[in-house]
Amino acid sequence: MRGKLLAAMLCVIIVGLALVWTSMQAPQQQRTVAAFCGAASKPVLEEATEIFEKNTGVRVELNLGGSGTMLSQMKMAKTGDLYIPGSHDYMIRAVSDGVVYPETIKTFAYLIPAIIVQKGNPKNIKSLEDLAKPGIKVGIGDPESVCVGEYAVDILNHTNLLKEVEENIVVHAASCDATAALITMGSVDAIIGWSVFESWNPDKAEAVLINPESIPKISCIPGAISTYSKNRADAEKFLNFLGSSEGRKIFEKYGYITTLEDAKKYAPSAETPKF
Amino acid sequence: MAYIKGFRRRRGFIKKIRLQIGLGNRVFKLAIIGSLTFFVLFFLSIIVSMACYTDLQRLISALVSDEIIFAIKLSVITATVATVFCVIIAVPAAYAMSRLKFRGKDTVDTILDLPIVMPPISLGAALLVFFNTPVGVAIESNLTRFVFEQPGLVLAQFTVISALAIRLMKATFDGISPRYEDVARTLGYTKLQAFFKVTLPLARNGLVAAIILAWARAIGEYGASVTLAGATRMKTETLPIAIFLSLATANVEEAVAVFLILISIAIAVLLLMRKVAGRPPMI
Repeated sequence: MRGKLLAAMLCVIIVGLALVWTSMQAPQQQRTVAAFCGAASKPVLEEATEIFEKNTGVRVELNLGGSGTMLSQMKMAKTGDLYIPGSHDYMIRAVSDGVVYPETIKTFAYLIPAIIVQKGNPKNIKSLEDLAKPGIKVGIGDPESVCVGEYAVDILNHTNLLKEVEENIVVHAASCDATAALITMGSVDAIIGWSVFESWNPDKAEAVLINPESIPKISCIPGAISTYSKNRADAEKFLNFLGSSEGRKIFEKYGYITTLEDAKKYAPSAETPKF
Repeated sequence: MAYIKGFRRRRGFIKKIRLQIGLGNRVFKLAIIGSLTFFVLFFLSIIVSMACYTDLQRLISALVSDEIIFAIKLSVITATVATVFCVIIAVPAAYAMSRLKFRGKDTVDTILDLPIVMPPISLGAALLVFFNTPVGVAIESNLTRFVFEQPGLVLAQFTVISALAIRLMKATFDGISPRYEDVARTLGYTKLQAFFKVTLPLARNGLVAAIILAWARAIGEYGASVTLAGATRMKTETLPIAIFLSLATANVEEAVAVFLILISIAIAVLLLMRKVAGRPPMI
């Protein structure tokens, strides 16, 4: 009898806790901004949101993931205040899908494609041609869904190396993160990614810069206010903060290039992102 | 007179009790049917709202695309192969867990629960790291390549579904009294014969359920598969991975179309499996 009573009490407590937890999910009083961002900008945005909350008291909730996946989520749920993808192609897509206000687009950093190898460059890869050497395992992002994958194919096409390097491409990673992870997990010898990947994992990855003339285009990290936004004022405040000198310093701290002139040094003849 | 009155009162009292028990029974029945209905409606409404997001044209264009046809074949084949390997391992393992007593049995039991608890993505990552170790490299050079290859899909699915199958089969074997096997042994069967002629037929229901569960889970497997085998189109792209790739390119309608294709295939195969399984043997 004691045992049954105890069990019954336990059940009541557990159910009670579940109900209390559910009711506690009621909306907070604090002003919030929901940002859907490409995982490429994770370290920067995490620090930026902390500082922004301290300064203004507005909490920015970061949803991180593949730029395309984030766009899908915004479209399906018809929600979100900001869209900060990892490349400008997705911003163009967001504009044509009517998810963002085009006049609110701001550019925060520029992304330069580079070859990323394991720290210490054990396979001694010095250029794009080296990627075609027999026995080298190369990974790129999925060219159709990952910005950095599309750029990889572009560069190889531009330098007429696609056929040779293609034989060494063993995997298409499903996202920007996953592409970078190919190196840190040691699954491949080299990837074509953004030069900032080196800053993400300085003890596991190393960037080998591509011959500046071989880079046909560079990308950028833009941000814009979503048409589904319910808090336009605070969303705009956060975008302005990211573009301010304070925001720019955070980007630079994590190895991003924030001005067009600096970016041009790495790729003088490259096409720059336009909206 | 008082005797007759008392009799009537008692009959009325008994009638009230019978009504209350009948009412109690009806409430119980209502409650269990209610739970079942709730879940079925909940799940169906999710699927219907998804179906409304796309249109017939996109569904058909997805069905005839090379990419999706490849993904359908790959999904069905890898899920089936993974299930076959899974059953081959799970049935003996579960029988051992059910019938044998040994030291550390509780520890083994807990270890068998781990793959169910672990997120599939971390299982995939663990496999990825394993193939980077000397043992893993040796396996890959002497047996077959797993990382970023199709056998990797089978391995990832196998890892995720085996623990489930073992759990289910163990519960099944636990429910079959060992006395049937003992009697068979006294009548001259070896342990192996007793297992195949007595235990397994009795375990048929559980075995069918385990196969259905394993196959269903395998065909829907995403996290471990994409981490170990990659999402390379026309190479390691299964239907769940195709759904993910569509979402990753912000093609929601395409994702929904593939989702509906996956559901239809799953329904068809599961119904077929149930039909083939037939009636369970009676004791």
